[in-house]
Amino acid sequence: MTKRVLLVEDEPNIVESLTFLLERSGFEVMPEGNGQVALDRAIEDPPDVMILDVMLPELDGFEILRRLRADPRSRSLPVLMLTAKGQREDRETALGGGANLFITKPFSNAEVIGAVSRLAGEAEE
Amino acid sequence: MPRTILGARIRERRRSRGLTQAALARQVGISASYMNLIERNKRPIAGPLLRRTAEALAMRIDELDGLAERRLLESLDEIAHMPDLADLRVEGASAGELIGRYPGWARAMAALARSERQSAAAARAMADRISHDPFLGEAVHRMLTRIAAVRSAAEILVAFPDVPADRRERFNRIIHDECQALSDVGGALAAYFDKIEEADRTLTPIDEVEALFESRSNRFNEIEAAAAPIDLGPGGNLPAGRWTAARAAAEDKLGSLIERIVADQDQVESAPARARARRVLLDYAARAILAPMRDFAPRAAALGYDVEVLAQELDLDVDTICYRLTAMPGGENVPSFGYFRANAAGTIVEMRGLPGLMLPRYAAACPLWVLYRAQQSPEALMRQRVVFPSGARFVFLARAHQAGPSGFGKPRHYLTGMIALSEADAALTVYAPDAGVPVEEVGPACRICPRRGCPHRVDDPLAA
Repeated sequence: MTKRVLLVEDEPNIVESLTFLLERSGFEVMPEGNGQVALDRAIEDPPDVMILDVMLPELDGFEILRRLRADPRSRSLPVLMLTAKGQREDRETALGGGANLFITKPFSNAEVIGAVSRLAGEAEE
Repeated sequence: MPRTILGARIRERRRSRGLTQAALARQVGISASYMNLIERNKRPIAGPLLRRTAEALAMRIDELDGLAERRLLESLDEIAHMPDLADLRVEGASAGELIGRYPGWARAMAALARSERQSAAAARAMADRISHDPFLGEAVHRMLTRIAAVRSAAEILVAFPDVPADRRERFNRIIHDECQALSDVGGALAAYFDKIEEADRTLTPIDEVEALFESRSNRFNEIEAAAAPIDLGPGGNLPAGRWTAARAAAEDKLGSLIERIVADQDQVESAPARARARRVLLDYAARAILAPMRDFAPRAAALGYDVEVLAQELDLDVDTICYRLTAMPGGENVPSFGYFRANAAGTIVEMRGLPGLMLPRYAAACPLWVLYRAQQSPEALMRQRVVFPSGARFVFLARAHQAGPSGFGKPRHYLTGMIALSEADAALTVYAPDAGVPVEEVGPACRICPRRGCPHRVDDPLAA
């Protein structure tokens, strides 16, 4: 069955590239730019993997992560966080908050696809 | 220092000032016998009585009760245990002896350590400010996001040659737009740092006055107009006598005009800079009286701006001619002149800038400028053709001349004056270099010079 990726990112150009790449790798991509909407979607209809940016309108990535982990329906949802390079605090917050993996911007496409595939595979097991 | 020796201290100090126990007791309003008990440490002393006693002995309370020394001892003890100084094996145990024998040195060391601590704290605060600056944080984040978008789209174009044409076009567009946004962020960052630099820059009076001249393109029309009709009359035939007469006339007839100019502008703010501006403008006015521009400018052009010939013909010194050249009204085929003066220590003491010529803001310029070489051959006019790291080319003309009185057996002091002209403007003068004249590579000043491998570098560049 096709694996579904919820791509929570508000930069349309990054969404466009990542969507293209993930689809080429056989994923179904559901892009979402609004933090609150993304959280609701993730809890009600959990995807196989979530890519979560930190800087988002309304609700930032860390808060989304905290609420996901607090809800039994999304507690074990695999989350890949996108943080900005050099922001050490962000990285620590991401891992401390329960992100499965994090990748710093600017990332390479191979890194992102590799990470998503790994998380999707683990979810299967 | 233990409190118990307070009495001994009072006694010692009293004796050294030639006071009897009774006299001191009277001054502070106690009986001689009570003072005796205090001096033998049989009675405590504190509060108002201690303060009065300190006053009577002309000491600070902390000196009298040993607090100052205890603090000094603590400071030296701290210095002795500074990790950075561990290798020096400081004799911490002898700090007391040091304070006793060389109190001035001990206080100086403590003061240096304190100032070092303060500087380190200021540096930390500055680093902290930068790493937590909301504008910088936001700008860096935007930059990384833009780069992420460019990188991802570019990688797609390279990795997937089979991307359909319309998608390919989209990714190209993304790269284009994101690069545009990226350069906006870069521009905003550069402007931000410029602003910080401006705010942090402390100006010297020389800088402030230079800024005033720069804002007027080195020329004050109102002074020129008021100076032109002034006739010095029979005021002395010697150049020195003429200068004195012109300076006096400037002060007398143009003093209030100059006061107004200084009061009305906003480049010169500090009191020392205002005083300097008044002095420099009076010098300017005196030169304008000696060589009115109406006659000077056409004559200078006719002589190819040859400063030495002009000096002879107008019976003025070369320095005055150089200053007048910087004040010439611009126009087609009229060269723009910059002029610098440096003392023997290499410090630039006055400057009239030139557009495009990057100036050192503090003290000395690049040691390769002929300005500094000219001191080796006083009175000779030396020409140098230079290229700056930016590629800008100039012609420099420098000459060291004696300044101030001298005589046999007395020291001679030289000031060096240097004219600067863009190479294009130099072509309009007798100083135009032939094609064969070598071009020397120079810089503005080490701190702001990017030239790599220069054997004369004495300071690292600020931006590596």
